[in-house]
Amino acid sequence: MSAVSIVNAAAAAPLQVVLPEWTAIAPVLILALTGLLLLTIDAIWPGRNGNTTFAFVSALGSLAALTVTVWYLVAGTGQVGGSITLFSEAIVVDGMALFFTAIFTSVAALVVVASHDYLAGHENAASYYSLLMFATLGMALMAVSNSLATVFVSLEMASLPSYALVGFLKKNRGSVESSLKYFLIGALSSAVFAFGISLVYAVTGSLLLSEVAAGFDDGVAGFAGVAGIGVLMIAGGFAYKTASVPFHFWAPEAYEGAPAPISAFLSSASKAAGFVVAFRVFSTSFMPLLDATPAIDWALAFAVLAVVTMVLGNFAAATQENVKRMLAYSSIGHAGYALIGLAALTAGGPHNGDVMGAAMAHLLIYGFMNTGAFLFIAMVEYWGVGRTFEDYAGLSTKAPFASLAMAVFMFSLAGLPVFGGFFSKYALFASAVSAGFWWLAAVGAITSALSLYYYSRVVKALWIEQPNGNLDAIDSKPTGLYAAVIFAAVATVLLLPGFPIALETAEAAASALFA
Amino acid sequence: MVPAQYYLLLSAAVFCIGLFGVLTRDNALYFLMSVELMLNAANINFVAFSLFWGNLTGQTFALFVIALAAAEVAIGIGIILVLYRNFGSVSVTDAATMRW
Repeated sequence: MSAVSIVNAAAAAPLQVVLPEWTAIAPVLILALTGLLLLTIDAIWPGRNGNTTFAFVSALGSLAALTVTVWYLVAGTGQVGGSITLFSEAIVVDGMALFFTAIFTSVAALVVVASHDYLAGHENAASYYSLLMFATLGMALMAVSNSLATVFVSLEMASLPSYALVGFLKKNRGSVESSLKYFLIGALSSAVFAFGISLVYAVTGSLLLSEVAAGFDDGVAGFAGVAGIGVLMIAGGFAYKTASVPFHFWAPEAYEGAPAPISAFLSSASKAAGFVVAFRVFSTSFMPLLDATPAIDWALAFAVLAVVTMVLGNFAAATQENVKRMLAYSSIGHAGYALIGLAALTAGGPHNGDVMGAAMAHLLIYGFMNTGAFLFIAMVEYWGVGRTFEDYAGLSTKAPFASLAMAVFMFSLAGLPVFGGFFSKYALFASAVSAGFWWLAAVGAITSALSLYYYSRVVKALWIEQPNGNLDAIDSKPTGLYAAVIFAAVATVLLLPGFPIALETAEAAASALFA
Repeated sequence: MVPAQYYLLLSAAVFCIGLFGVLTRDNALYFLMSVELMLNAANINFVAFSLFWGNLTGQTFALFVIALAAAEVAIGIGIILVLYRNFGSVSVTDAATMRW
């Protein structure tokens, strides 16, 4: 145990003085136990169609994890008196970890509730829900990783169940094909990521993020090439997980072919998980490289990637006819916005905390609005209405509340004023400008304006165009899907008045990393 | 002792062979083998620099990588199996119902 963690233990947050210190990772443990419980129930009563039981247990588990996370956030665990480190510093619990765990668990809860209808009559419900819980567990572990070893292992723990979930409809060719593509690119990028870690280890001789930073502090003279390639390869691994250019091309396929609740889960939670590790690794470990001699300017690399990702995602989305694919490309575009949180970092910059905090707040709001939008698609798939914009025409006559929720998601994703997405984008662009990266903000604003075009196409189809006779297929009301969509819409709207609190929490959490 | 640069060159070569395989092979099983090569290139670095730095972190992490590679292959074989059932081949180019 290093001196730092002993000091932390002495001055730990009030809550973890009363409770043992290991309880700081209680949300992770709850998710793990829920996944195991699901498998146990399935083993004790095999063959029983327990879709409702499994959905209930996993919803309860993710909500319990969410409750504990929010409780810790409010009580100041890992924030007041410094972060809490466990397992010889391999695990760290701080504001950022709790903030992102809250995103993952709430998205997981929404997806579980929606999956109950989607999976009705399916035979392998237990494996679906347990894989979902294990993937969430992997993401929660990514949020608390403080060593490149735990980063790699938890990233794989989140990825492996995701591959299986994407291919869950194993008799559906689209699902299998998308799972294959997701897996191939995932395997390739994890190999690149591992090689990048090995190069960083070669230069610094350690995997703990703090010791890597110390190693880089001493200078990389003579090893600059090796360190630079290693850092770029690690960035490539994150680009895959966050669906950013150049490892983005799995995303439209995987999101289109996967069961729609899984698309919601991957495009919101998995993307946020990629960002939390990227934020932590680059801000903790690789900051010294920015002003080392010779400097390895990874922030510039991220700036280029952010611009390309924003432009490519939004332009490609504008040309789609399939709504799910359009949302997939829009989610690539949003990865570009969140990348600003890394691109606008400067060595010792006074605005680093603001920029990263704004990106975190954007990911929080994005988590709700994007999950909601994909769950709306799940509902339309459930009805069997069709996938293109024309098929969506006049849906509001049959499902007014859900269509209203979808309109909220679309306008919020586009960043129209008075919707949650506007404030988060505004905070993000404003912080980028104050950090001196006005051109990043300009590209972001222009592409957001473009995005309004394709988002409003959905709203136009739903509310203005006349039904063209394919809506007779709608004969049921999927309660769980409805509840999840409406809840996501309510959360998106409630994040309007709640945005200052979210932004403040995020900025405090991000600033703590730069302290 | 063999200088550290030699290990870096060896691992870079193994990595590039794996990458070449990934980029040129149609067969999904060859793809898996090539990815294994790339992961083992990382392992060479970890073990070599574990010796260089005189700590066990690298060796331990190489064990993690081996375990994760096994898990990845398990999932991958499963996906390739359902691919074969649906498309009648294990070629990555046959599964192209969606446009890129």
